[in-house]
Amino acid sequence: MANRMNFLQGKTVRKVIPANASHSRSSSTPQVNGTSATIYGGGVKDPSGRITEYSSEDDQCPVCKSDKYLEKRLRLLVSSCYHKMCESCIDRLFTLGPAPCPICSKVLRKLAFTPQTFEDLGVEKEIAVRRRIAKEFKKRVEDFSNLREFNDYLEDVEDITWNLINDIDPAGTEARITAYREANAALTLLNTQREEAYVLSLRQAEDLERKEKEMRAEEQRREEEEERAERESGKRDIIDRLERADDADAARVVRRTRRERAEREANRKGVAPGKGAQALLRARLAAAAATAAAKDTPHVPFQDNYYAYEDMFVLQPVYVDPTSEAVRKDREGIMRAGGFRVEEAWERALRSAVAGLDLWPLGQESVPNPQPIDQGGDVIMSAA
Amino acid sequence: MDAVEKANAERQKQWAKDQKVGEGTYAVVYRGREASTGRKVAIKKIKVGQFKDGLDMSAIREVKYLRELKHQNIIELLDVFSSKTNLNLVLEFLDSDLEMIIKDRALVFLPADIKSWMAMTFRGLEFCHRNWILHRDLKPNNLLIASDGQLKIADFGLAREFGDPGYKMTCQVITRWYRPPELLFGSRYYSSAVDIWSVGCIFAELMLRTPYLAGESDMDQLKTIFRALGTPTEQDWPGHTKLPDYVPIGQFPKTPLRDLFTAASADTLNLLSQCLVYEPRKRIAAKDALSHSYFFAHPYPSHPSKLPKCAAQLTAALPLEELDGNTLSGKTNRLKRKLTSPPDETKTRSAVARRLDFTKPTPGS
Repeated sequence: MANRMNFLQGKTVRKVIPANASHSRSSSTPQVNGTSATIYGGGVKDPSGRITEYSSEDDQCPVCKSDKYLEKRLRLLVSSCYHKMCESCIDRLFTLGPAPCPICSKVLRKLAFTPQTFEDLGVEKEIAVRRRIAKEFKKRVEDFSNLREFNDYLEDVEDITWNLINDIDPAGTEARITAYREANAALTLLNTQREEAYVLSLRQAEDLERKEKEMRAEEQRREEEEERAERESGKRDIIDRLERADDADAARVVRRTRRERAEREANRKGVAPGKGAQALLRARLAAAAATAAAKDTPHVPFQDNYYAYEDMFVLQPVYVDPTSEAVRKDREGIMRAGGFRVEEAWERALRSAVAGLDLWPLGQESVPNPQPIDQGGDVIMSAA
Repeated sequence: MDAVEKANAERQKQWAKDQKVGEGTYAVVYRGREASTGRKVAIKKIKVGQFKDGLDMSAIREVKYLRELKHQNIIELLDVFSSKTNLNLVLEFLDSDLEMIIKDRALVFLPADIKSWMAMTFRGLEFCHRNWILHRDLKPNNLLIASDGQLKIADFGLAREFGDPGYKMTCQVITRWYRPPELLFGSRYYSSAVDIWSVGCIFAELMLRTPYLAGESDMDQLKTIFRALGTPTEQDWPGHTKLPDYVPIGQFPKTPLRDLFTAASADTLNLLSQCLVYEPRKRIAAKDALSHSYFFAHPYPSHPSKLPKCAAQLTAALPLEELDGNTLSGKTNRLKRKLTSPPDETKTRSAVARRLDFTKPTPGS
């Protein structure tokens, strides 16, 4: 009972096993414990060290009263009415369909439970509400004629948010949201698309930056290697020359090789940044071109002028064609009902005859009377 | 080694085979690379040997037509070579298909996206038809999507030339749900209109996100079609009662498409209804469809690079171990909140349960 009381008073409670626990486990008394271990306790952390799911050593399911101490795998989830309970309780209560919450008896579904992110459920709720509101209310300053209207709008939004967070007049607030949604559906959609485009452009910029960085690092590494190789060969060079020269020349040889090397290095330093910047600029331009190309363009039915040579032949209504005679008779109209047309065969023959008529054999370029004709389909057809 | 073998070996050297991606009835598909550039390709290894008289028909068809068709919206056949007794087709690598995209519930299609896919499908199909080739197996599964969003018609295993008089064609083609009524009635003389019907079904499927005319058998397919579009009269489709496999199916009233496609614009429904005309001769041609007002009306078709892509396509680069289980953190976890504990926990639990399981009779008892 003491345990229960502490829980209700918001104190943190921890069960401690006495050293001589062998005689009776149930007699272990709960003790108040406020060490840092409970405050900065647990939670699931993502690689960057941020807590993505909150949990503490003192978690206890308010429904079945099982706690972290006895049930190491206890995981509390939060319902849409902001009450916590453990996974096994959720399974037990909601597997057979929607059921009332054991704490506030609001009807809940199994899927409506979410992991807890914040220690304070009030914060959890506020964030959920604000996320929802942000999805609905997307107007920007540009959508208003003056700043005052925009501020009024923001005030309204904040008002609605406050009402939702504190459960003030829920029905009226919902009605306000619905009315707003209906009135501004098109604008909301537009702004959503704008946001998506912005996010996409950000991501592209990030990608680009990362690539640039990699490129720069790669370049630097290569340069260093070159330098090292050069220095190495320079050294060998000096030794070679010193071997050949006598004492008087030695000092001069050393001086000269040093000067040569300094010159080379200066040269490289002058050139290298220029090359890097060029590559950078090129990548930037390519990215800009890519985003520009992603614009929706009006529909173009054909991307070539295949039908341009249609005037090179005239299809007669009927031909003397012994091969198709049997088909053409078609007394019962079976061919017709199946969609077959003998005219297609004639058209095909004619097209094959005229296609590529004005193309020069062997792909010769010097056409006396150049006439642009589709290069795609025809060349292939005539080659086949 | 004779000259032919040498040439073949040269070709084979240009392509490197990586891991297996999928297996069909007559081929195994591998992921591969072009040795010189590292460009990703798909290598389709045709199983030979299970056919008595040489190569499988569909392999021959595929090579025959893809060698000729080069178009932005048709899959590109890069090379053909043989290894030992197998035939290998080197195809452009495309990582997803329209079916995956339709089934991915996390994606939202805008009308402009559907318009863009339809335009690309019609463009590819128009190219086939202008070169007198029927595809005869159009379905979302065979419309592949490139990484830049371009849609490409693939699988020419059932393709055939048309426009030659007097030859009977088989009516046992096209996946049932996309098969036009004239083929279901057993017509042996047909035309490019059969492909248009399939495109119409795909169009409807893109809007509904579920197959439009899903019949359970060939008979049921006809019934499904008639239930959706009304039983055709002799006026709607002259001569259809004379078709070889004609059987009266029953009378169903015509219901306007508007009842099912409530959100579609008038242009959309007009094009759809023209693709699903009973009389094949009156069905719209691919060439005319491309000039239909639907494609010119607002909104403009989405740029291919902006079309929705399915998650599998985005994660395709990851090794398999990272794709299953809870290791794939972030996006998917946020989308589908799971109530169940991570799998390793259930494993330990079941281990405990097994230890406590007394119902199992011991060998001694």
